[in-house]
Amino acid sequence: MSKSQRAAEPKPGDQCIDSALPQAPGRALGLTIMCLAIVFVAVWMTVQSRQQLSQKITASSSSSQQGTMTGFLDNAWFLPDEPLLGFVRIPSGPFAMGSNPALDRLAYENERWSSNRRQGSVEIDDFYIGLFEVTAAQFRAFTAEHPDLANEVAADIQGDMPVTNITWPEALAYARWLQRKLASSADTPAELRNYLAAGGQVSIPSEAEWEKAARGADGRIFPWGNTPSTEFANYGARSILPVGSKPCAECAFGLQDMSGNVWELTRSPLQAYPYNPNDDAENLSEDALWVMRGGSFVDSLGNVRAAVRGGVDPGVRNNTIGFRVVISKP
Amino acid sequence: MAISASSNNSSRNSKNSADKQTRSSMAAFKFPFALSIALIILSFVPRVQGNPILAWSFWGAAAVLLMWQAYLLFNSRNNNEERAFSILLRPQHYIQGMVQISLYVYWGYYWRPVYDHAWLILAQLLFAYTFDMLLTWSRRREYSLGFGPVPIILSINLFLWFRDDWFYMQFVMIAVGFMGKEYVRWNRDGRSSHIFNPSAFALGLFSLVLIATNTTDLTWGQEIASTLTLAPNIYTFLFLIGLVVMYFFSITLVAGMSAVTLFGLSALYSAGTGVPYFLDSEIPAAVFLGLHLLITDPSTSPRTPLGKTIFGVLYGLGVFALYTLLGAMGEPTFYDKLLVVPLLNLSVIAIDRTVRSIHSAALLNVWKEGWFGGRSNLAHMSIWIVIFASMSFLGKTDGKHQGDSLPFWEQACASDLSNACGRMLQLEATYCGDNAAWACNEIGAHYREGIITESNEELSMAYFSRGCELKFRAACLNLLDTELVLREVPHELDLRLLLREGGQNLMTLSEQELFERACEHDWAFACASTKSPESNRTQI
Repeated sequence: MSKSQRAAEPKPGDQCIDSALPQAPGRALGLTIMCLAIVFVAVWMTVQSRQQLSQKITASSSSSQQGTMTGFLDNAWFLPDEPLLGFVRIPSGPFAMGSNPALDRLAYENERWSSNRRQGSVEIDDFYIGLFEVTAAQFRAFTAEHPDLANEVAADIQGDMPVTNITWPEALAYARWLQRKLASSADTPAELRNYLAAGGQVSIPSEAEWEKAARGADGRIFPWGNTPSTEFANYGARSILPVGSKPCAECAFGLQDMSGNVWELTRSPLQAYPYNPNDDAENLSEDALWVMRGGSFVDSLGNVRAAVRGGVDPGVRNNTIGFRVVISKP
Repeated sequence: MAISASSNNSSRNSKNSADKQTRSSMAAFKFPFALSIALIILSFVPRVQGNPILAWSFWGAAAVLLMWQAYLLFNSRNNNEERAFSILLRPQHYIQGMVQISLYVYWGYYWRPVYDHAWLILAQLLFAYTFDMLLTWSRRREYSLGFGPVPIILSINLFLWFRDDWFYMQFVMIAVGFMGKEYVRWNRDGRSSHIFNPSAFALGLFSLVLIATNTTDLTWGQEIASTLTLAPNIYTFLFLIGLVVMYFFSITLVAGMSAVTLFGLSALYSAGTGVPYFLDSEIPAAVFLGLHLLITDPSTSPRTPLGKTIFGVLYGLGVFALYTLLGAMGEPTFYDKLLVVPLLNLSVIAIDRTVRSIHSAALLNVWKEGWFGGRSNLAHMSIWIVIFASMSFLGKTDGKHQGDSLPFWEQACASDLSNACGRMLQLEATYCGDNAAWACNEIGAHYREGIITESNEELSMAYFSRGCELKFRAACLNLLDTELVLREVPHELDLRLLLREGGQNLMTLSEQELFERACEHDWAFACASTKSPESNRTQI
């Protein structure tokens, strides 16, 4: 007698119970349920993994659909509504790089040009630089096409705030993406299109490009001159401001937020002056450390001078660090 | 309640009711009810509460079990049926369970997530006992309460865990394993028996689903397969616990022959091509584990010595072939040891039939005639011990392995040895995933150069970005200029990852020892200088 028979064994005196008992569920039913469970697993896992991906894409594209922002073009990747999409031309020519402690008493040692010179003269070709720091809306337009990065930029940040918490490679990736967009769009202003066609590349500025754009050719300490002012820069403050909150007609080339608001990444490695773009590939055995410029809203006066040089690990994300872009010829 | 433990299979079918005491009344329902409640209580431990989906998985599983019990209880009362269980302790269950627990303890000591997973294993055990009992009762049979579910659950968890967000799938996987045991059966030697090893059936099926739906990343499978070697001397440990199983259950021929087959095939491949077949060892540790604990279920393997031998050889051949096949398909190769077991289980009757068709007594008895006075298993074990000792002596088990050395693969790739460049890329990708910046830059450089693999600028940029974020300066400069390929020797932190030989990262090793070890691994710069590695720059 098998176990199953024993379990359903009729009790003495219960003559009819055997025929009255329902049959145990058969193997066919069990196999069907098991197969259904396996099919469910396969379908569910496919659907769920696709849903997760589409949620990411939806989140990033909905964050890119930020409606109209005053002063920015929602049909041009939220670049500024300016004649050159917010790019300002910086003419070629020399400028004084580094600090002269006799004139700038807040100068740091790493701003000294060499052991026997306080400042150097650097000549660079003309280039274009962003009027503002890159905004959250602009960066979201980029991440909308790169869902992998969508989680890295908080969706609740106001569109005209400078983008922060991005790594150095992400800033470069944005620049490469913008290059493709500008080069392929028929709406790109002819001046920019011609410059790009002649070999111009969208990137983040070298520290020489940044410093020249910030202080002009006359070697001023701050972008607006030599006197400290909170009228033109957001520093020593509690929070970041939307880009362009401190208009500065007095600033070199009219650029805004070059001092304060957020530190701006550059494409120059942090190494001792004299500045020489041809020595970037030396000291490869050292850990990468990149120059950032301009100071941030939390910094004091000494860190928002045009010549100040900060250093940052390329993998760091920080809410005081952003970037702006340039178009220049390497 | 008296407990009667039986020491062999024969007691399973014992007609002697004194051997086991049966609890057969409605009161029997208290047991699965208590287990379901325990599962709910377990959901309130911080480990589970830390993830809402995980907690809901527990509650969902408990709810299903409770509803099933209510249905059975209702049916039992309506039909005046009784549900019963009896206690039956089988050595093949509790010995295997103890062996598996010892492995978890040892492995978890060196890879912490194992200990963190303990609560989840306990939950799976509660679920498994309840599910198995209710399934048996639904089939109107008496349930044998013992340690049966323990080796099944522990075996599944030695190979595959779903991540917390997907943990409900772990319960489904267990359910499928038990349903396979209950429903997928055949008639073998005049008795109805399950075809598949329950844990291997669930693992094999779910592996197929994960591959088909490209969702391997929902599990910890890859991490499990690669972290076993974090425990030092893991091969020796597996060998020793394997001896326990071999001694009690005579599975030496299965495990031993599969190991010998894999060792042999690896050696042949290596001799023919000049490069190792498996990247990290002669037999990957997880495969070595599988051949001791996954294919050695006596119920689903052949019973004759020759049949066991064939079974073991086929496992070795299957793993060897699947490793290449999965690699060629671009799928994770750790599935090799899982996918082959259900296929082998299906071949058991054919193997038995083949063995029976052999009429040569000499051949049939080749493994046992006269050895150790008829105690053939001890003879087999002795041979296996000699083989393992020899392999260890030759450095084919624990310790440094040729495939661990990146300079070896660089050299092999440069010499155009079979598949060496692909293996090198695979190895570099793994080390890049481990945050070795040098490896990220190297693989980015390969994708940019397009010499040993097809040029892919997008992949190249992704790897350079990762290398750059890890502060590797050459990678950052490669990001800046798409015409450039800058290379640099590994930095100190890279070496601490690259030289781990499958073990733990070498964070505490002194710089001097680190560079000496790098030199042993044929890193020329480390031999030349222990402090000032020179850069090696190339421009295209």
